[in-house]
Amino acid sequence: MAKLVLKFENSVLKEMPVGSKEVSIGRSPENGLVIDNPAVSHYHARVFNEEGRLMLEDFGSMNGTFVNGQRVKMVTLKPGDSVGIGKHTIVVSESREMDGFASGNGSAKPAAPKINETVMLDTKERREFLQKVAAVGESSQVAPSRLKVPTLIVRKGRTNQKEYALNDKLTVVGKSGMATVKLKGWFAPKAAAQITRRDDHSYYIGAADKVPSVNGQPVLHPTILSSGDIIVVAGIEMEFVYRD
Amino acid sequence: MEMEFGAQSDTGCVRDNNEDSYRVAPEMNLFVLSDGMGGLEAGEVASRLAVDTVLAHCREAEMNPSLPLSGERIEGVSDRSNRLASAIRSANEIVYRTAQQGAGQRGMGATVVAVWCTDERISVAHVGDSRIYRLRAGNFEQLTQDHSFVAEEVRHGKMTAEEAATSTMQNVLVRALGIEPAVEVDVSEALLTEGDSVLLCSDGLTRELSDAQIAAVLGEHQEAKAAAKRLVELAKQAGGGDNVTAIVLRRAAKSNGAIARIGRLFKHSA
Repeated sequence: MAKLVLKFENSVLKEMPVGSKEVSIGRSPENGLVIDNPAVSHYHARVFNEEGRLMLEDFGSMNGTFVNGQRVKMVTLKPGDSVGIGKHTIVVSESREMDGFASGNGSAKPAAPKINETVMLDTKERREFLQKVAAVGESSQVAPSRLKVPTLIVRKGRTNQKEYALNDKLTVVGKSGMATVKLKGWFAPKAAAQITRRDDHSYYIGAADKVPSVNGQPVLHPTILSSGDIIVVAGIEMEFVYRD
Repeated sequence: MEMEFGAQSDTGCVRDNNEDSYRVAPEMNLFVLSDGMGGLEAGEVASRLAVDTVLAHCREAEMNPSLPLSGERIEGVSDRSNRLASAIRSANEIVYRTAQQGAGQRGMGATVVAVWCTDERISVAHVGDSRIYRLRAGNFEQLTQDHSFVAEEVRHGKMTAEEAATSTMQNVLVRALGIEPAVEVDVSEALLTEGDSVLLCSDGLTRELSDAQIAAVLGEHQEAKAAAKRLVELAKQAGGGDNVTAIVLRRAAKSNGAIARIGRLFKHSA
Protein backbone atom coordinates (compact mmCIF):
# COMPACT_ATOMS: atom_id res chain seq x y z
CA MET A 1 0.00 0.00 0.00
CA ALA A 2 1.31 3.45 -0.84
CA LYS A 3 1.79 6.18 1.65
CA LEU A 4 2.19 9.92 1.38
CA VAL A 5 4.94 11.61 3.36
CA LEU A 6 4.25 15.31 3.91
CA LYS A 7 7.41 17.35 4.23
CA PHE A 8 8.26 20.99 4.68
CA GLU A 9 11.83 21.74 3.64
CA ASN A 10 13.63 18.76 5.14
CA SER A 11 11.28 17.96 7.98
CA VAL A 12 8.74 15.19 7.83
CA LEU A 13 5.47 16.52 9.18
CA LYS A 14 3.09 13.64 8.68
CA GLU A 15 2.65 10.31 6.99
CA MET A 16 -0.61 9.12 5.54
CA PRO A 17 -1.45 5.78 3.98
CA VAL A 18 -3.62 5.75 0.88
CA GLY A 19 -6.05 2.87 0.94
CA SER A 20 -9.39 2.40 -0.71
CA LYS A 21 -10.47 5.79 0.56
CA GLU A 22 -9.12 8.84 -1.20
CA VAL A 23 -6.96 11.40 0.58
CA SER A 24 -8.01 14.99 -0.02
CA ILE A 25 -5.38 17.67 0.37
CA GLY A 26 -5.80 21.32 1.16
CA ARG A 27 -5.94 24.06 3.71
CA SER A 28 -9.44 23.35 4.98
CA PRO A 29 -9.45 21.23 8.16
CA GLU A 30 -11.94 18.88 6.50
CA ASN A 31 -9.21 17.48 4.30
CA GLY A 32 -7.52 14.21 5.05
CA LEU A 33 -4.13 15.87 4.65
CA VAL A 34 -4.23 19.44 5.88
CA ILE A 35 -1.52 21.84 4.72
CA ASP A 36 -1.77 25.18 6.44
CA ASN A 37 -0.07 27.56 4.07
CA PRO A 38 -1.48 30.63 2.29
CA ALA A 39 -0.35 29.42 -1.09
CA VAL A 40 -2.45 26.27 -0.71
CA SER A 41 -6.10 26.33 -1.76
CA HIS A 42 -8.78 25.17 0.65
CA TYR A 43 -9.51 22.16 -1.52
CA HIS A 44 -6.36 21.80 -3.47
CA ALA A 45 -6.00 18.23 -4.73
CA ARG A 46 -6.61 14.59 -3.97
CA VAL A 47 -4.84 11.27 -4.17
CA PHE A 48 -6.84 8.11 -4.82
CA ASN A 49 -6.55 4.53 -6.01
CA GLU A 50 -8.01 3.65 -9.38
CA GLU A 51 -7.74 0.18 -10.83
CA GLY A 52 -4.58 -0.52 -8.93
CA ARG A 53 -2.93 2.77 -9.86
CA LEU A 54 -2.29 5.68 -7.55
CA MET A 55 -3.73 8.87 -9.04
CA LEU A 56 -3.30 12.53 -8.23
CA GLU A 57 -5.86 15.12 -9.25
CA ASP A 58 -5.56 18.88 -8.89
CA PHE A 59 -8.86 20.62 -8.13
CA GLY A 60 -8.09 23.66 -10.29
CA SER A 61 -6.11 25.20 -7.45
CA MET A 62 -4.79 28.75 -7.68
CA ASN A 63 -1.11 27.96 -7.47
CA GLY A 64 -1.18 24.50 -8.98
CA THR A 65 0.00 21.04 -8.07
CA PHE A 66 3.39 19.87 -9.32
CA VAL A 67 4.83 16.40 -9.73
CA ASN A 68 8.62 16.27 -10.00
CA GLY A 69 8.56 19.94 -10.96
CA GLN A 70 5.87 19.76 -13.65
CA ARG A 71 2.46 21.30 -13.12
CA VAL A 72 -0.25 18.63 -13.52
CA LYS A 73 -4.00 18.23 -13.61
CA MET A 74 -4.40 14.45 -13.28
CA VAL A 75 -1.54 11.97 -13.29
CA THR A 76 -0.51 8.55 -12.12
CA LEU A 77 1.90 8.55 -9.22
CA LYS A 78 4.69 6.07 -8.60
CA PRO A 79 6.90 5.52 -5.58
CA GLY A 80 9.56 8.17 -5.34
CA ASP A 81 7.48 10.88 -7.02
CA SER A 82 7.64 14.24 -5.35
CA VAL A 83 4.37 16.19 -5.28
CA GLY A 84 4.70 19.95 -4.77
CA ILE A 85 1.81 21.86 -3.20
CA GLY A 86 2.57 25.39 -2.07
CA LYS A 87 5.90 25.18 -0.32
CA HIS A 88 5.28 21.66 0.91
CA THR A 89 6.34 18.40 -0.66
CA ILE A 90 4.52 15.12 -0.53
CA VAL A 91 6.70 12.14 -1.31
CA VAL A 92 5.04 8.98 -2.52
CA SER A 93 6.47 5.84 -0.97
CA GLU A 94 5.65 2.19 -0.42
CA SER A 95 4.87 1.47 3.23
CA ARG A 96 7.43 -1.27 3.44
CA GLU A 97 10.31 0.83 2.17
CA MET A 98 12.86 2.50 4.37
CA ASP A 99 12.36 6.12 3.70
CA GLY A 100 15.87 7.33 4.19
CA PHE A 101 14.75 10.90 4.40
CA ALA A 102 14.71 10.70 8.16
CA SER A 103 17.50 13.03 9.06
CA GLY A 104 19.53 14.36 6.24
CA ASN A 105 22.57 15.12 8.40
CA GLY A 106 25.68 14.80 6.35
CA SER A 107 24.01 13.54 3.20
CA ALA A 108 24.64 15.82 0.27
CA LYS A 109 21.35 17.17 -1.04
CA PRO A 110 21.07 19.18 -4.20
CA ALA A 111 20.87 22.81 -3.17
CA ALA A 112 17.30 24.07 -3.53
CA PRO A 113 16.99 27.14 -5.70
CA LYS A 114 17.52 30.12 -3.45
CA ILE A 115 14.50 31.89 -4.83
CA ASN A 116 11.07 30.33 -4.64
CA GLU A 117 8.55 30.74 -7.42
CA THR A 118 6.27 33.71 -6.96
CA VAL A 119 2.77 32.63 -5.94
CA MET A 120 -0.50 34.38 -5.17
CA LEU A 121 -2.02 34.44 -1.73
CA ASP A 122 -4.94 32.01 -2.06
CA THR A 123 -8.23 33.55 -3.16
CA LYS A 124 -10.42 33.63 -0.05
CA GLU A 125 -7.56 34.82 2.14
CA ARG A 126 -6.36 37.33 -0.45
CA ARG A 127 -9.74 38.97 -0.86
CA GLU A 128 -10.20 39.23 2.91
CA PHE A 129 -6.68 40.60 3.23
CA LEU A 130 -7.23 43.24 0.57
CA GLN A 131 -10.53 44.29 2.12
CA LYS A 132 -8.86 44.62 5.51
CA VAL A 133 -6.05 46.71 4.03
CA ALA A 134 -8.53 48.98 2.24
CA ALA A 135 -10.57 49.44 5.42
CA VAL A 136 -7.48 50.38 7.45
CA GLY A 137 -6.44 52.77 4.70
CA GLU A 138 -9.80 54.52 4.71
CA SER A 139 -10.08 54.88 8.46
CA SER A 140 -6.59 56.29 8.82
CA GLN A 141 -7.15 58.99 6.24
CA VAL A 142 -9.08 62.12 7.00
CA ALA A 143 -11.33 62.96 4.05
CA PRO A 144 -9.54 65.62 2.05
CA SER A 145 -12.53 67.97 2.05
CA ARG A 146 -12.33 68.17 5.83
CA LEU A 147 -8.65 69.06 5.72
CA LYS A 148 -7.43 72.58 5.36
CA VAL A 149 -6.07 73.39 1.92
CA PRO A 150 -2.28 73.13 1.62
CA THR A 151 -1.09 76.38 0.06
CA LEU A 152 2.16 77.99 -1.01
CA ILE A 153 2.29 81.76 -0.52
CA VAL A 154 5.11 83.51 -2.40
CA ARG A 155 6.74 86.09 -0.14
CA LYS A 156 9.74 87.03 -2.31
CA GLY A 157 10.77 86.44 -5.90
CA ARG A 158 9.17 86.29 -9.33
CA THR A 159 6.60 83.63 -10.03
CA ASN A 160 3.51 83.51 -12.18
CA GLN A 161 1.12 83.60 -9.21
CA LYS A 162 1.20 84.84 -5.64
CA GLU A 163 -0.49 81.81 -4.14
CA TYR A 164 -0.84 78.18 -5.12
CA ALA A 165 -3.31 75.67 -3.68
CA LEU A 166 -1.67 72.25 -3.87
CA ASN A 167 -4.05 69.83 -5.59
CA ASP A 168 -1.71 67.36 -7.17
CA LYS A 169 0.33 64.51 -5.85
CA LEU A 170 3.40 66.11 -7.42
CA THR A 171 4.05 69.87 -7.42
CA VAL A 172 7.09 71.18 -9.21
CA VAL A 173 8.76 74.56 -8.68
CA GLY A 174 10.63 75.55 -11.83
CA LYS A 175 10.52 76.68 -15.41
CA SER A 176 9.37 73.38 -16.92
CA GLY A 177 6.08 73.27 -18.82
CA MET A 178 4.69 70.97 -16.17
CA ALA A 179 5.74 73.11 -13.20
CA THR A 180 2.97 74.48 -10.98
CA VAL A 181 5.02 77.27 -9.40
CA LYS A 182 6.47 78.79 -12.54
CA LEU A 183 9.74 80.61 -12.05
CA LYS A 184 10.70 83.55 -14.19
CA GLY A 185 14.25 84.48 -15.01
CA TRP A 186 17.01 83.46 -17.37
CA PHE A 187 18.78 81.02 -15.18
CA ALA A 188 15.75 79.49 -13.49
CA PRO A 189 16.09 75.71 -13.64
CA LYS A 190 13.48 73.48 -15.23
CA ALA A 191 12.77 71.85 -11.88
CA ALA A 192 14.24 73.57 -8.85
CA ALA A 193 12.37 71.59 -6.20
CA GLN A 194 9.43 69.26 -5.84
CA ILE A 195 6.68 68.77 -3.28
CA THR A 196 4.97 65.40 -3.10
CA ARG A 197 1.78 64.38 -1.36
CA ARG A 198 1.96 61.00 0.34
CA ASP A 199 -0.90 58.57 0.87
CA ASP A 200 -1.64 59.97 4.30
CA HIS A 201 -1.96 63.46 2.78
CA SER A 202 1.25 64.76 4.29
CA TYR A 203 3.46 66.88 2.05
CA TYR A 204 7.17 66.36 1.58
CA ILE A 205 9.62 68.71 -0.11
CA GLY A 206 12.62 67.36 -1.98
CA ALA A 207 15.56 68.65 -3.97
CA ALA A 208 15.69 68.55 -7.75
CA ASP A 209 18.01 70.78 -9.76
CA LYS A 210 18.53 72.86 -6.61
CA VAL A 211 18.58 72.09 -2.92
CA PRO A 212 15.84 74.07 -1.19
CA SER A 213 16.01 75.12 2.42
CA VAL A 214 13.18 74.87 4.92
CA ASN A 215 13.39 77.31 7.84
CA GLY A 216 17.06 77.81 7.04
CA GLN A 217 17.95 74.10 6.91
CA PRO A 218 18.99 72.55 3.57
CA VAL A 219 16.75 69.73 2.40
CA LEU A 220 19.15 66.82 2.03
CA HIS A 221 16.42 64.18 1.90
CA PRO A 222 12.64 64.48 1.48
CA THR A 223 11.36 66.50 4.43
CA ILE A 224 7.82 66.82 5.74
CA LEU A 225 6.26 70.29 5.57
CA SER A 226 4.34 71.82 8.44
CA SER A 227 2.10 74.87 8.36
CA GLY A 228 4.21 77.99 8.61
CA ASP A 229 7.41 76.52 7.14
CA ILE A 230 9.45 78.96 5.04
CA ILE A 231 10.89 77.51 1.85
CA VAL A 232 13.73 79.21 -0.01
CA VAL A 233 14.86 77.97 -3.43
CA ALA A 234 16.05 79.42 -6.74
CA GLY A 235 15.70 82.99 -5.55
CA ILE A 236 12.17 82.73 -4.24
CA GLU A 237 10.79 82.51 -0.73
CA MET A 238 7.47 80.83 -0.01
CA GLU A 239 5.45 80.00 3.07
CA PHE A 240 3.67 76.64 3.26
CA VAL A 241 0.36 76.88 5.13
CA TYR A 242 -2.78 74.88 5.65
CA ARG A 243 -5.59 77.29 4.79
CA ASP A 244 -9.25 77.07 5.71
CA MET B 1 13.85 65.46 -24.39
CA GLU B 2 17.00 63.40 -24.28
CA MET B 3 16.45 60.06 -22.62
CA GLU B 4 19.12 57.40 -22.59
CA PHE B 5 18.16 53.81 -21.85
CA GLY B 6 19.57 50.32 -21.52
CA ALA B 7 17.71 47.05 -21.00
CA GLN B 8 18.82 43.50 -20.21
CA SER B 9 16.91 40.35 -19.41
CA ASP B 10 18.23 36.90 -18.54
CA THR B 11 16.78 33.51 -17.54
CA GLY B 12 19.27 33.37 -14.68
CA CYS B 13 21.12 30.30 -13.44
CA VAL B 14 18.32 28.13 -12.10
CA ARG B 15 15.12 28.52 -14.06
CA ASP B 16 14.43 26.67 -17.30
CA ASN B 17 12.88 29.57 -19.13
CA ASN B 18 12.57 33.32 -18.93
CA GLU B 19 9.14 34.47 -17.82
CA ASP B 20 10.17 38.13 -17.65
CA SER B 21 9.23 40.36 -20.58
CA TYR B 22 9.90 43.99 -21.34
CA ARG B 23 9.19 46.54 -24.05
CA VAL B 24 10.71 49.94 -24.73
CA ALA B 25 9.17 52.64 -26.90
CA PRO B 26 11.87 55.31 -26.82
CA GLU B 27 10.03 57.49 -29.33
CA MET B 28 7.29 57.76 -26.71
CA ASN B 29 9.58 57.64 -23.67
CA LEU B 30 7.56 54.67 -22.46
CA PHE B 31 9.18 51.68 -20.74
CA VAL B 32 7.45 48.62 -19.34
CA LEU B 33 8.53 45.38 -17.66
CA SER B 34 6.61 42.34 -16.46
CA ASP B 35 7.44 39.20 -14.45
CA GLY B 36 5.14 36.28 -15.26
CA MET B 37 4.02 33.44 -13.02
CA GLY B 38 2.21 30.13 -13.35
CA GLY B 39 3.41 26.71 -14.35
CA LEU B 40 4.76 25.59 -17.71
CA GLU B 41 4.65 28.46 -20.21
CA ALA B 42 1.84 30.37 -18.54
CA GLY B 43 4.26 32.87 -17.03
CA GLU B 44 5.86 33.71 -20.34
CA VAL B 45 2.48 34.12 -22.00
CA ALA B 46 1.22 36.33 -19.18
CA SER B 47 4.17 38.71 -19.07
CA ARG B 48 4.33 39.04 -22.83
CA LEU B 49 0.62 39.82 -23.02
CA ALA B 50 1.04 42.36 -20.24
CA VAL B 51 3.82 44.40 -21.85
CA ASP B 52 2.34 44.18 -25.35
CA THR B 53 -1.06 45.36 -24.14
CA VAL B 54 0.33 48.30 -22.16
CA LEU B 55 2.32 49.44 -25.17
CA ALA B 56 -0.54 49.00 -27.62
CA HIS B 57 -3.00 50.87 -25.41
CA CYS B 58 -0.62 53.80 -24.90
CA ARG B 59 0.23 53.97 -28.61
CA GLU B 60 -3.43 53.98 -29.52
CA ALA B 61 -4.13 56.71 -26.97
CA GLU B 62 -1.38 58.88 -28.45
CA MET B 63 -3.01 58.66 -31.86
CA ASN B 64 -6.53 58.95 -30.49
CA PRO B 65 -6.64 61.04 -27.31
CA SER B 66 -10.37 60.57 -26.99
CA LEU B 67 -9.90 56.85 -26.41
CA PRO B 68 -11.93 56.13 -23.26
CA LEU B 69 -10.07 55.29 -20.08
CA SER B 70 -10.40 51.82 -18.66
CA GLY B 71 -11.48 52.30 -15.06
CA GLU B 72 -11.96 55.39 -12.90
CA ARG B 73 -10.01 58.57 -13.43
CA ILE B 74 -7.47 59.18 -10.65
CA GLU B 75 -7.47 62.72 -9.26
CA GLY B 76 -4.28 64.62 -8.61
CA VAL B 77 -2.26 63.07 -11.41
CA SER B 78 -1.90 64.00 -15.07
CA ASP B 79 -3.76 62.65 -18.10
CA ARG B 80 -0.66 60.70 -19.04
CA SER B 81 -0.55 58.99 -15.68
CA ASN B 82 -4.22 58.16 -15.96
CA ARG B 83 -3.61 56.77 -19.42
CA LEU B 84 -0.84 54.55 -18.10
CA ALA B 85 -3.09 53.21 -15.33
CA SER B 86 -5.78 52.56 -17.92
CA ALA B 87 -3.30 50.64 -20.06
CA ILE B 88 -2.39 48.41 -17.13
CA ARG B 89 -6.04 47.75 -16.30
CA SER B 90 -6.54 46.69 -19.91
CA ALA B 91 -3.56 44.39 -19.63
CA ASN B 92 -5.12 42.85 -16.54
CA GLU B 93 -8.36 42.16 -18.38
CA ILE B 94 -6.55 40.43 -21.22
CA VAL B 95 -4.34 38.29 -19.01
CA TYR B 96 -7.35 37.36 -16.87
CA ARG B 97 -9.44 36.35 -19.85
CA THR B 98 -6.58 34.31 -21.30
CA ALA B 99 -6.06 32.58 -17.96
CA GLN B 100 -9.75 31.70 -17.67
CA GLN B 101 -9.89 30.27 -21.19
CA GLY B 102 -6.76 28.16 -21.02
CA ALA B 103 -6.80 24.70 -19.55
CA GLY B 104 -4.52 24.52 -16.56
CA GLN B 105 -3.77 28.22 -16.86
CA ARG B 106 -5.73 29.35 -13.86
CA GLY B 107 -3.30 31.04 -11.52
CA MET B 108 -1.41 32.43 -14.51
CA GLY B 109 -0.47 35.99 -13.69
CA ALA B 110 2.13 38.70 -13.96
CA THR B 111 3.53 41.76 -12.27
CA VAL B 112 3.99 44.98 -14.22
CA VAL B 113 6.02 48.17 -13.78
CA ALA B 114 5.84 51.05 -16.25
CA VAL B 115 7.40 54.49 -16.62
CA TRP B 116 6.19 57.14 -19.06
CA CYS B 117 8.18 60.38 -19.25
CA THR B 118 6.80 63.82 -20.08
CA ASP B 119 9.38 66.59 -19.82
CA GLU B 120 10.69 66.45 -16.26
CA ARG B 121 7.82 64.39 -14.96
CA ILE B 122 7.61 60.63 -15.00
CA SER B 123 4.40 58.69 -14.58
CA VAL B 124 5.10 55.62 -12.49
CA ALA B 125 2.56 52.78 -12.39
CA HIS B 126 2.71 49.20 -11.14
CA VAL B 127 1.01 46.06 -9.89
CA GLY B 128 2.97 43.38 -8.03
CA ASP B 129 6.48 43.19 -6.62
CA SER B 130 8.65 44.24 -9.54
CA ARG B 131 10.09 47.64 -8.69
CA ILE B 132 10.97 51.12 -9.89
CA TYR B 133 13.79 53.08 -8.24
CA ARG B 134 15.27 56.54 -8.76
CA LEU B 135 18.90 57.45 -8.11
CA ARG B 136 19.53 61.14 -7.55
CA ALA B 137 22.77 62.59 -6.20
CA GLY B 138 23.58 59.41 -4.31
CA ASN B 139 20.06 58.91 -2.92
CA PHE B 140 18.57 55.60 -4.07
CA GLU B 141 14.81 55.64 -3.54
CA GLN B 142 12.23 52.95 -4.24
CA LEU B 143 9.34 54.70 -5.96
CA THR B 144 6.92 51.75 -5.81
CA GLN B 145 5.47 49.78 -2.88
CA ASP B 146 5.60 45.99 -3.26
CA HIS B 147 2.21 44.32 -3.44
CA SER B 148 3.50 41.35 -1.52
CA PHE B 149 2.15 39.82 1.66
CA VAL B 150 5.27 40.65 3.68
CA ALA B 151 5.46 44.25 2.45
CA GLU B 152 1.86 44.81 3.49
CA GLU B 153 2.56 43.28 6.91
CA VAL B 154 5.53 45.62 7.34
CA ARG B 155 3.47 48.63 6.27
CA HIS B 156 0.88 47.77 8.92
CA GLY B 157 3.43 47.23 11.61
CA LYS B 158 2.79 43.49 11.86
CA MET B 159 6.32 42.59 10.78
CA THR B 160 9.68 44.35 10.80
CA ALA B 161 11.69 44.85 7.62
CA GLU B 162 14.27 42.36 8.90
CA GLU B 163 11.61 39.72 9.52
CA ALA B 164 10.25 40.37 6.06
CA ALA B 165 13.66 39.90 4.47
CA THR B 166 14.02 36.42 5.97
CA SER B 167 10.37 35.39 5.88
CA THR B 168 9.36 32.24 4.03
CA MET B 169 6.39 34.19 2.71
CA GLN B 170 8.46 36.64 0.70
CA ASN B 171 7.32 35.30 -2.64
CA VAL B 172 3.59 35.57 -1.88
CA LEU B 173 1.82 38.35 -3.72
CA VAL B 174 -1.48 39.99 -2.85
CA ARG B 175 -1.89 41.80 -6.18
CA ALA B 176 -0.99 40.74 -9.73
CA LEU B 177 -2.36 40.95 -13.27
CA GLY B 178 -4.62 38.17 -14.46
CA ILE B 179 -5.87 36.93 -11.10
CA GLU B 180 -9.09 38.94 -10.79
CA PRO B 181 -11.27 40.57 -13.46
CA ALA B 182 -10.25 44.00 -12.15
CA VAL B 183 -7.12 45.14 -10.35
CA GLU B 184 -6.11 48.29 -8.51
CA VAL B 185 -3.12 49.94 -10.16
CA ASP B 186 -0.78 52.12 -8.08
CA VAL B 187 0.09 55.35 -9.88
CA SER B 188 2.37 58.18 -8.86
CA GLU B 189 4.45 60.91 -10.42
CA ALA B 190 8.03 61.88 -9.81
CA LEU B 191 10.62 64.25 -11.16
CA LEU B 192 13.40 63.18 -13.43
CA THR B 193 16.00 65.88 -13.96
CA GLU B 194 19.49 65.91 -15.42
CA GLY B 195 21.76 63.45 -13.73
CA ASP B 196 18.89 61.32 -12.39
CA SER B 197 18.66 57.61 -13.17
CA VAL B 198 15.59 55.40 -13.03
CA LEU B 199 15.64 51.61 -12.73
CA LEU B 200 12.79 49.23 -13.55
CA CYS B 201 13.55 45.68 -12.43
CA SER B 202 12.05 42.29 -11.63
CA ASP B 203 12.56 40.73 -8.21
CA GLY B 204 15.22 38.44 -9.67
CA LEU B 205 17.54 41.45 -9.36
CA THR B 206 16.56 42.69 -5.92
CA ARG B 207 16.61 39.22 -4.35
CA GLU B 208 20.24 38.80 -5.35
CA LEU B 209 21.71 42.27 -4.94
CA SER B 210 21.21 44.77 -2.14
CA ASP B 211 19.95 48.30 -2.76
CA ALA B 212 23.43 49.61 -1.94
CA GLN B 213 25.03 47.33 -4.50
CA ILE B 214 22.52 48.27 -7.18
CA ALA B 215 22.98 51.98 -6.46
CA ALA B 216 26.75 51.58 -6.69
CA VAL B 217 26.53 49.93 -10.11
CA LEU B 218 24.21 52.65 -11.38
CA GLY B 219 26.61 55.28 -10.06
CA GLU B 220 29.69 53.65 -11.57
CA HIS B 221 28.38 53.12 -15.08
CA GLN B 222 27.59 56.32 -16.89
CA GLU B 223 26.12 54.54 -19.88
CA ALA B 224 22.66 53.15 -19.24
CA LYS B 225 23.29 50.09 -21.44
CA ALA B 226 26.45 49.23 -19.55
CA ALA B 227 24.68 49.67 -16.22
CA ALA B 228 21.79 47.37 -17.18
CA LYS B 229 24.15 44.71 -18.46
CA ARG B 230 26.32 44.88 -15.36
CA LEU B 231 23.35 44.61 -13.00
CA VAL B 232 22.14 41.43 -14.67
CA GLU B 233 25.67 39.98 -14.73
CA LEU B 234 26.11 40.60 -11.02
CA ALA B 235 22.70 39.15 -10.18
CA LYS B 236 23.76 35.95 -11.91
CA GLN B 237 27.06 35.93 -10.12
CA ALA B 238 25.21 36.30 -6.84
CA GLY B 239 23.19 33.20 -7.63
CA GLY B 240 20.81 34.00 -10.46
CA GLY B 241 18.04 32.08 -8.73
CA ASP B 242 15.28 33.68 -10.77
CA ASN B 243 14.78 35.39 -14.11
CA VAL B 244 16.35 38.84 -13.91
CA THR B 245 15.52 41.96 -15.92
CA ALA B 246 16.71 45.55 -15.60
CA ILE B 247 15.83 48.68 -17.57
CA VAL B 248 17.97 51.74 -16.78
CA LEU B 249 16.88 55.23 -17.83
CA ARG B 250 18.91 58.42 -17.68
CA ARG B 251 18.11 62.05 -18.40
CA ALA B 252 20.95 63.13 -20.64
CA ALA B 253 22.47 66.56 -20.08
CA LYS B 254 20.71 69.00 -22.41
CA SER B 255 23.73 70.56 -24.04
CA ASN B 256 27.38 71.14 -23.45
CA GLY B 257 27.34 74.76 -24.57
CA ALA B 258 28.78 77.58 -22.49
CA ILE B 259 25.46 78.71 -21.06
CA ALA B 260 24.62 75.17 -19.94
CA ARG B 261 28.01 74.76 -18.34
CA ILE B 262 27.64 78.01 -16.42
CA GLY B 263 24.17 76.89 -15.39
CA ARG B 264 25.57 73.66 -13.99
CA LEU B 265 28.11 75.67 -11.96
CA PHE B 266 25.17 77.13 -10.06
CA LYS B 267 23.49 73.75 -9.65
CA HIS B 268 22.86 72.62 -6.10
CA SER B 269 23.43 76.02 -4.56
CA ALA B 270 20.32 77.38 -2.86
